[in-house]
Amino acid sequence: MSLNDWLRERLGLEALDHVIEKKRVPVHRHTFWYYWGGMTLFLFGVQVATGILLVLYYRPSADEAYESVRFLMTQVSFGWLIRSIHSWSANLLVGAAMIHMFSAFMLKSYRRPREVTWLTGMGLFVLCLAFGFSGYLLPWNQLAFFATKVGTDIMGSVPLIGPFLARLLRGGDQITGGTLTRFFGFHVAILPLCMTALLGIHLFLVQWHGMSVPPGTEPPAAAPKKEMRFVPDFLLRDLVGWLAALGALALLAALFPWELGLKADPYAFAPAGIKPEWYFGYMFQTLRMIPSRVLGIEGELLGIEGFGLGALVWALVPFLDTPDGRGPRAGFWRVVGVLAMLYVIVFTLLVYRGGPS
Amino acid sequence: MRALRRLLVLAGALLLAAAPVRAAVDTCAECHRGLDDPRLKAPALGFPHDIHAERGLTCAACHGGDPADPEPSAMDPDRGFKGAPTRAQIAPLCASCHADAAFMKRYNPRPYVFSMAEWQTSVHAKLAAQGDAKVATCTSCHGVHGIRPPKDPASPVFKTNVPRTCAKCHNPGYMKGHAVPADQFALYSKSVHGVALLEKGDVSAPACNDCHGNHGAAPPGLKDVTMVCGTCHGREAELFEGSRMKAGLDALGKPGCVTCHGNHGVQRPNDAMLSAAPGGRCAGCHKPGSVAEQGTSAIVASLSGLRGSLSVADSLLKLAEVRGMETAAGRGNLKEAQDALVGVRAGLHSFDSKQIGAVLAEGAALSRKATDYGREALRDWHNRRVGMALSLVVILILIGLVVAKIRQIER
Repeated sequence: MSLNDWLRERLGLEALDHVIEKKRVPVHRHTFWYYWGGMTLFLFGVQVATGILLVLYYRPSADEAYESVRFLMTQVSFGWLIRSIHSWSANLLVGAAMIHMFSAFMLKSYRRPREVTWLTGMGLFVLCLAFGFSGYLLPWNQLAFFATKVGTDIMGSVPLIGPFLARLLRGGDQITGGTLTRFFGFHVAILPLCMTALLGIHLFLVQWHGMSVPPGTEPPAAAPKKEMRFVPDFLLRDLVGWLAALGALALLAALFPWELGLKADPYAFAPAGIKPEWYFGYMFQTLRMIPSRVLGIEGELLGIEGFGLGALVWALVPFLDTPDGRGPRAGFWRVVGVLAMLYVIVFTLLVYRGGPS
Repeated sequence: MRALRRLLVLAGALLLAAAPVRAAVDTCAECHRGLDDPRLKAPALGFPHDIHAERGLTCAACHGGDPADPEPSAMDPDRGFKGAPTRAQIAPLCASCHADAAFMKRYNPRPYVFSMAEWQTSVHAKLAAQGDAKVATCTSCHGVHGIRPPKDPASPVFKTNVPRTCAKCHNPGYMKGHAVPADQFALYSKSVHGVALLEKGDVSAPACNDCHGNHGAAPPGLKDVTMVCGTCHGREAELFEGSRMKAGLDALGKPGCVTCHGNHGVQRPNDAMLSAAPGGRCAGCHKPGSVAEQGTSAIVASLSGLRGSLSVADSLLKLAEVRGMETAAGRGNLKEAQDALVGVRAGLHSFDSKQIGAVLAEGAALSRKATDYGREALRDWHNRRVGMALSLVVILILIGLVVAKIRQIER
């Protein structure tokens, strides 16, 4: 008995063979957008691999975090590369997740019976942002310190649960070494646990329901279905994208190594022009532009409530749109999607173009 | 008599402090505010902003009289009225409270206690005792009827205001007829100390009183000048004290520090000072071509070399930083090397070539380390780009192979 046969008998790989053999990907003019889910998954894999390597050297305390990252970057072979790839890949991951989410929205992939797939996807996106927010503080540098201070201050403004949330995140009233340790715990234990569970459900549902075919691209009933095999046709194309992403990461890491900055000093002044990571930029810019009081309500509070409401509507869109993705209501939600994309792009650019504050 | 006066002032002040309602009844100020004669009106207008008024003292504390009496009889000498003190009476009058530690402790647990004995050592007091009516007394510097504490930036004796306050008298016009120079402020304001204090607001820089004293103001004696400068420049003074140069200058009757650096116009030291050639500070005693000049030439050359190597290291590290490389360790070496350069400058005051050479060698070694670090960082940066290019080639080949495989499958 060969090793292959031995494994097949014990692991039931025949069932997997069956799934692989059966899995097909629809081919139409929007097939390109299917690759972004795989791209997001690949970049998440890069994060896991590089993250594990970083944990080997990282020490999560206010006294040692900055020094351990500096040691990693200057003394450990390829340490600079691993850290740079981890940081750049985090940004590409959020970008890929955004493209995946907006493309799923515009192609109406959330329609019945994929509502839960959409909801788990939203959950995964929020987890990606949480990974970014918690990971940003870990090098314990000035920018990270004050960006986290601003970020947790904003969370503290959330009605009812804000003060509790800010205290829970910080482990007190201020950003301290305790916050760093807590963020490390979130970043390497709690969030990965949630991510693994939710990602498992998301991938299972994608496999269970198959790829959604956007309204208007379905072949006529009599015509044969245009599709390709997942293995190897689609997977090899995915591989091309992943290799390109790897090349982009190598390029970014070598040409723009991620800076370490100055060690966090709670008693120093906040650096001038402090701004969050780009993926929080549109929210930051919105809060900057809202007047301090609108119709007697505090502007920041109004902004936060607006984001909460917007996220809720965004998550519930499978239940608000038409089940077949056709008709005026479907058109309305398509316009909402375009406006949401424009809002995110324009307001993110405004942060870096010195937009109004 | 003096004890009786102090007792009266103290009793008056205690009564006024203990009874704020009574303190409010200060008919002196009320009446003087309404007078037309500016000489009599101005004190009443300025006194409410005076630290003494803020502490509850009234006109009567210094001038005597009865502040509760609204009539001119309040100024009856029989009721203790003393009028305006003469110039000679001012210091003893101020001292009646300010030299009394017990009294001053009522207002400050760690009071400055004025010393008449110290004041009498000052040139001002000595000249006053000889009948010179132009010399400064307490009010000349601290003001009168509007006195602010020395820590108040509005006070004429606040650190940054001291040079200008001294210059009110120590200027060519006022000092005409006196045998002392009057260009101190002009020189000081252009000196390294003056620029730091007056232009940059650096209160760690010395003002006039840091070298001359304040209430005991006098020119530092020749023997004392190293101690005066040494209060801030401790390392230099310590090295100079044990040097051959000190013995040499003592033998010539020349003071330390100021012989080379000057006093009021002291400038930031530079390498050109270290020369027996015309223009150099050694030229006053040493001849061109002397052993001293050979020694200083060698030191200047080494200093210049160290500065040059520090500049090279700094440029390399900057270039590496611009290219995104981490240079904290190299910067650490460079900072130590820069400290060594400062150490060399301090070490020059030992006038011991061996000692100076050792610090120079230490600085040079640290500078080399920083330079090596910068070069290594740039080499690393170059290697990274080569590595990136190679990895991109590998990735492109892999992409090509995968694309070829896709085509092969779909053919």
